[in-house]
Amino acid sequence: MKKIFFSIIAAFIFSTAAAQMINSNLILTAQPPAQLSEWGNRREVLTLILSAPGAVTGQFKLKAEMKTLDGTVIGSADLAKTPVFTGNSSGTTILFANDVIPLEDMIFTGKYKNSLQRTGKLPADNYTLCVRPVRPADYAPLGEEQCKNFYLATTQLPILMKPYNEEVLNAKTAQTAIIFRWTPVVPRQTSPVTYRLQVFEVLPAQSPVQALRSNQPLLDKEILAATQFIWQPQLSFAPVDSNATRKLPTFIWTIQSLDKEKKPVTQTDGNGEGRSEPLIFFIDPNKNIRKNQ
Amino acid sequence: MMRNKIVTAGIFIFISSSASLAQEVKEKVKEKLKVSGTMGITYEGYGLSRSPSGWTGYQPRRPWNQVRFNFTPTFNLGQHFTLPFNFNFAAIPTNFAGPYAGIKKQNFGQFITNPMNSFGINPKYKWAELQLGTQYLKYSDLSTGDIGVFGIGFDLRPKTWRFKFFNGISQQGINYFAGTPTVTGAYKRRNYMFQIAKEAEGKYLFAINFAKGKDVPASSAPPPLTIRPQEGVVISIVSDVYVEKGIYFKAEGAQSTFTKDVATPLTTLLKGLKPFMEAHTSTITDFAGQLSVGKKSTNFDIGLTSKYLGAGFQTVGYPYQQSDRLDYTLNTRFNGWKDKNKTYKINVVASVGRRVNNVRNTALKASQFIGNLNWFTQFNDHWSLNVNYNNFGFQSASGTNPFGIKNVSNDLGFNPTYTWSNTKMNHLISLSYNYSKYDERDVITGLTTSNNTHTALLTYVPSYFDRDISPDFSVLYFYNDVPLAKIKLFTISSALSMTAAKKRLQLRGQLQYTWGKLNSFSSNNNLIASCNVDYKITKKLSWNTFLTTNYFKYGNEITPIGANYLETMSRTGIQYSFDTKKIIR
Repeated sequence: MKKIFFSIIAAFIFSTAAAQMINSNLILTAQPPAQLSEWGNRREVLTLILSAPGAVTGQFKLKAEMKTLDGTVIGSADLAKTPVFTGNSSGTTILFANDVIPLEDMIFTGKYKNSLQRTGKLPADNYTLCVRPVRPADYAPLGEEQCKNFYLATTQLPILMKPYNEEVLNAKTAQTAIIFRWTPVVPRQTSPVTYRLQVFEVLPAQSPVQALRSNQPLLDKEILAATQFIWQPQLSFAPVDSNATRKLPTFIWTIQSLDKEKKPVTQTDGNGEGRSEPLIFFIDPNKNIRKNQ
Repeated sequence: MMRNKIVTAGIFIFISSSASLAQEVKEKVKEKLKVSGTMGITYEGYGLSRSPSGWTGYQPRRPWNQVRFNFTPTFNLGQHFTLPFNFNFAAIPTNFAGPYAGIKKQNFGQFITNPMNSFGINPKYKWAELQLGTQYLKYSDLSTGDIGVFGIGFDLRPKTWRFKFFNGISQQGINYFAGTPTVTGAYKRRNYMFQIAKEAEGKYLFAINFAKGKDVPASSAPPPLTIRPQEGVVISIVSDVYVEKGIYFKAEGAQSTFTKDVATPLTTLLKGLKPFMEAHTSTITDFAGQLSVGKKSTNFDIGLTSKYLGAGFQTVGYPYQQSDRLDYTLNTRFNGWKDKNKTYKINVVASVGRRVNNVRNTALKASQFIGNLNWFTQFNDHWSLNVNYNNFGFQSASGTNPFGIKNVSNDLGFNPTYTWSNTKMNHLISLSYNYSKYDERDVITGLTTSNNTHTALLTYVPSYFDRDISPDFSVLYFYNDVPLAKIKLFTISSALSMTAAKKRLQLRGQLQYTWGKLNSFSSNNNLIASCNVDYKITKKLSWNTFLTTNYFKYGNEITPIGANYLETMSRTGIQYSFDTKKIIR
């Protein structure tokens, strides 16, 4: 009799719990932005869809853990501080990165904490994100744990190679052709990178970066995937005013790296424009002649 | 009565003595006032005519019209007071990069702070300088220096002390606009900075620098799409020591605390920099340092420079600085081979270095080797040879691809020159040959593509001893060979400089023709003509004009076949020079 009673009680509890189980579907980009705080600004990075038979009507929290591929937990949500969610009465609740991994409540360990503190990024590697809804009161599971692997690596903008910084070019050669070279975006992107090469003339009263930020570029060329461009300037380089501090015509050049939608490949690092650190070069009408005269 | 006379006489004496004193002061002021610098106005016009009609394969590369103004006099009153003005501004905004990119209509605040305009006044009395308006202040290599800030501050230099402070706005709020051209938009950014230092020029410098920038989130509506409101502080310590015999030691260490998005939540889990800024979830704190030691002398320099920028090091003062790197470079320069006149015949400038990325392991490891050599030898009165070599190698893993990235650029150049002269003129013939090789490995197949470029330039420059005329002639051959593309260019050019009107008129003209060919397509042709006319109207007033025209006709490498364009650029301006160096009376 006693056994039957306990069986009935157990069956009742099980059926009640089953009725409250939440199904979840975690969608995570395979190569999200390296800057973790950027995940919240892009809804396409992480989406968690929660649903339950009937509707997710009760309250729940999300237990989120970041792991290395060997299963070591490197960061987890502090459940005492994470927000409590109330299910949407329509049946489906959709949450995004700021809800699932609120960085203000995520506790990272060891070198990962140090890396995040100094760079806002985790060391370049493969990781797993696991999420499970839990009961707010005792953190008891309310559904299956959902895990997704992802790869993090900072996008490094090109480094300008040639003309190298402060190179003095012979005007006679430069009037016909100037070769520009730069390193590719690293790591290699999933779609070909468009490199926007821009060359600005530095006017006598300007600093080089001031010229870059204010002048119309003499060359504004988009180059798909290649890392070299031969420019035929078709310019007669104007002489510099004798009062100017710089005695040679001066130019500043840079590369803007764009993705397939023509947006900067990285928007959170540095200037946010995806522009590489610019270099300057000079044009000398008398290069290799002055020394001999 | 007597009393009235005395008072009247007293007043008269006072007035007359005051007047004479004022006159004396005025005279002295006039005697001591000196003015230097220039002011002027320049017009630039651009024209582009493309054919066939409707073809847009070549885009304009200058503003159609632009007017630039400059007003940069410096008033010197006595030995101790100077009042320099630095007003440089343009009528039409032409920003393509940075916070003002795309802006066409600007309000007064945007006009004042647009980086294309400067409005600065720096009155200075002895060691005290007041800084008003636009200032480009470089405190150090790691704190601030690249951007202009409009505001107010000072630079005080009593004895060996340095106290600097500046507070202002480096950019105004700019609304995002999705039209053509797109206006990227920007948040208004407030900056302030200070420096406390002790310095004896040529002996030592010890400085503490502080620079902060903070965006105003509500300053643009609609806000920029891709840029977040930011906040950053950098603190740096500079220590430079110069000892005898040209030996120097320079070091700077810096810490930056930077919030990439001030809209992200506050957190106690990350470090802020109170009381200057609080920590958000996007706040990062990292370090940078640079060190250089070396020796400089007349005939021999050597120096070792190292620079480290942590992956999270970011400042508002250098917006284009790329972080996450460690550079070290060895530079040298020396003269050698003395002739009988004890003149050095050899000059060598060389550097070798390496740059490593991935300092914080947040990115794929990338390593670069950089080497430069320039060797000049004057063999005798006639012959000289310049040899230069440059190498830049880049290596990195490429994620999941089977092969890593490897790009290597090599340049090797020879430039022999022969000069000879007679009683009437000097002749110079210079040949320059450069071989440039660029190897790039495909990360999928592992195959390396070589890109080879040969450039040969022959120049002849006759110089007349008794004539104000200087011509030069040159021919150039350029050949670039890469799989699937071969480019040949052949250029002939000539220039002529001369003076006229009792040397008040300086003229220079240049004509250049280039024949080009891509693969087996028909050739393209390019003709460029330009001239400068600088006329000195009076001792103080000059009129400078530069005109150039460029005609380019494509072969059948593009459609429509026969496409061509004519580009013209003119620049003319009047400049008034205050630079008399004479006492104004």
